[in-house]
Amino acid sequence: MDWNLLSLSFIVVFLAELGDKSQLVAISLSGNCQHPRAIFLGAATALILASFLGVLLGDGIGHLLPVPMLKCLAAIGFAGMGLRLLWPAPEGDLGG
Amino acid sequence: MPHLPVLESSPEPQQPSQAPAPQEICSSPQEATLPPVRQGWLPEFMAAFLSVFVAELGDKTQLATLLMSAESQSPWVVFAGAATALITTSLLGVLVGRWLSRRLSPQALQTATGASLLLVAILLLWDVVHL
Repeated sequence: MDWNLLSLSFIVVFLAELGDKSQLVAISLSGNCQHPRAIFLGAATALILASFLGVLLGDGIGHLLPVPMLKCLAAIGFAGMGLRLLWPAPEGDLGG
Repeated sequence: MPHLPVLESSPEPQQPSQAPAPQEICSSPQEATLPPVRQGWLPEFMAAFLSVFVAELGDKTQLATLLMSAESQSPWVVFAGAATALITTSLLGVLVGRWLSRRLSPQALQTATGASLLLVAILLLWDVVHL
């Protein structure tokens, strides 16, 4: 086991992820949710799968998935959720 | 000494009336402190999974992991380090979210959540432009 490499990759990824989008998403979702463990498990699984794909496929991920289109769709979804929270509908409760 | 053995010999079963009915503990349908609607576990898991996965695809973390695993001869060590770091950061994120939700009023929490989700959307679009 190469402990130097292990700690190096831990520190690099940890610093890169602090305050990044995925952590913002985790903070936002867990503030309003009822199952914080579900948010933690979902976020951790997604992150591990994403980095697993990064290790496994390398650069080929761009050919496998339409990454810009997925990101655009996600941006629209996040913007919609954010706008609905900032300016909720005047009547009817918002689902949280 | 007639008083000593009193403590030892008192096996009289005098508290059958204290035993609670077991089905009343689990099902308290009119508990006012519970949230009115309890969503399932799975929708929140899937929401977190899908949004974080899409947000993280092609991100700088993935690029760093990719570069390190390509440079070194042992990609699985890099993967183990990255996975541990990612688990830690998402745990920190959830803890910060729960802490904020206790500290802020519901209205302030909603505003903060909306602003943070808008920020995530902007960051994602920035990624797309600079991909």
